[in-house]
Amino acid sequence: MPATRVTDPGLVDAHANSQLGPYLRGLWKRRSYGWYVAESDLRQRQITTIFGSLWHLLNPLLSIAVYFLVFGLILKTDRGVDGKGGFLLFLTVGLFVFQYTQRAVTQGAISIVANRGLIQAIRFPRALLPLSATLTETFAALPSFIVVYVVAITTGTTPTWSWLALPGIVAWQMLFNFGAAMIAARVTTHFRDMQQLLPFVFRLLIYASGVFFSIENYVSDGWMTVLFILNPMYAFIAMARWATMGMDMPAEAVFAAIVWTAVALVGGFLWFKSAEHAYDRV
Amino acid sequence: MTASEQASPATGTEQLSVLVEDVHVNFRVYKDNDASLREFVRRGMRRAVDVHALKGVSIEIGVGESVGIVGSNGSGKSTLLRAIAGVQPLSNGKVFVRGEAHLLGVGAALKPLLSGRRNILLGGLAMGMTRSEIEAKLHEVVEFAGLEESINLPLNTYSVGMRSRLAFAIATLRVADVLLVDEALAVGDQAFRERSLARLRSLRDEAGAVVLVTHNLVEIRQSCSRAIWLEQGEIRADGDVGEVLDEYSPTSA
Ligand SMILES: Nc1ncnc2c1ncn2[C@@H]1O[C@H](COP(=O)(O)OP(=O)(O)O)[C@@H](O)[C@H]1O
Ligand SMILES: [Mg+2]
Repeated sequence: MPATRVTDPGLVDAHANSQLGPYLRGLWKRRSYGWYVAESDLRQRQITTIFGSLWHLLNPLLSIAVYFLVFGLILKTDRGVDGKGGFLLFLTVGLFVFQYTQRAVTQGAISIVANRGLIQAIRFPRALLPLSATLTETFAALPSFIVVYVVAITTGTTPTWSWLALPGIVAWQMLFNFGAAMIAARVTTHFRDMQQLLPFVFRLLIYASGVFFSIENYVSDGWMTVLFILNPMYAFIAMARWATMGMDMPAEAVFAAIVWTAVALVGGFLWFKSAEHAYDRV
Repeated sequence: MTASEQASPATGTEQLSVLVEDVHVNFRVYKDNDASLREFVRRGMRRAVDVHALKGVSIEIGVGESVGIVGSNGSGKSTLLRAIAGVQPLSNGKVFVRGEAHLLGVGAALKPLLSGRRNILLGGLAMGMTRSEIEAKLHEVVEFAGLEESINLPLNTYSVGMRSRLAFAIATLRVADVLLVDEALAVGDQAFRERSLARLRSLRDEAGAVVLVTHNLVEIRQSCSRAIWLEQGEIRADGDVGEVLDEYSPTSA
């Protein structure tokens, strides 16, 4: 092989794996792509529906109405919910926190496949795609978190300083979601059927996250409680309920959220990046 | 490869722009023989076949060179261009590029529901340009591509020709060091083709390298000094454009 030529520093291996530093710098340099995709996608969703941006509010309100009817009025799973704001606020917070992660991970999972055209034409750090999907879903979720405050006020909850912690918890959750979106993106690239499976994964998870009922009152077995508390969704929901309803926040939940975020973000990023070239094949 | 292309670093004038070393690309494809359901179950769900799209291709392209690539359908031309652009995983071999390579293909549809303008911005941002850099060039590239009328319409209302012009606009937002053109001009109208060929020539003069894949041999004769004939993933001929094209298509001269 003509090894002499390759010593020319101007000639760069077009297929080399990026080192961590340049990869992250390349991602940072393209951050406005993420903002612009979020803006464009949200505008797109508004143009194609009759009620436009109203759906960002209507959709969460309708889903609360459905779940409140089923779980609050028919199945009466509201026993033992003692925080301020009652079962309605309990449900609203749980549902929105859960749906935010569900949407970010679902969109993250298809982000590689959905951007084939871009991938085949331009070389850029592919983590930009799950990142953009996470940002888009974060903006899409903002109205539903405003609904949380509205429901809190209309159910007669007096505002406390802890309300101000909710945006911080959402930002924390965004980091977790980005990590989970990268993991879902890589899994979906290798295993396309994941797209079909994800809705079932989340349906199972929603029952294990205490969205509709208070886990303490339904799960008495010590073992089971540990499993619930280790669930990252439960951890974020518990923190958000502490902030808005003044409910107890188990220390294990905070610990679980810290560990899950670190694992998803750092582990997810490294795992996603280590298959960087596999995404070109989709 | 001819001796004249050997780079001589001492003079500094014949630096390499692209170096392709013994590149192999394998595709694993799944055959669908349209068998009956029983057959399908009995033989297993999927049968994989390897397609050897590039079988040890080596090329050296000097700075300022403009190379045309010819070959029949399926000979591996698009795969080679993607390999040079770094967006096609290699089974074996290496590709080195001086600076940045931009791939310009027909199908570079990014977001079909968004307008042409938004697609140009997205393409530029993904390339790592800033929004103000893109906006400074936007008017020029849109005008060049002749898309002033339709730039605010969604991409899915564009004809194939308009799409390829949009792809051209995106790829020329920034001067690429290596521009790889994959039949992107073929679907444009005559006027646009001539303008973009002129643009490719001026780009080459700005010390970049251009690799052009097209079935239009006249285009290659007009704008390339060298041609490569690819057949079944192997180089059949590489050298002076007149000689290679005469061999490839004796009737075309
Ligand atoms: N994504 C792909 N998956 C499987 N096979 C492919 C893929 N892309 C190209 N091929 C195969 O590789 C060979 C070369 O294709 P290509 O590079 O597109 O040829 P050309 O551009 O010269 O017409 C063909 O046999 C084609 O079927
Ligand atoms: Mg082709």
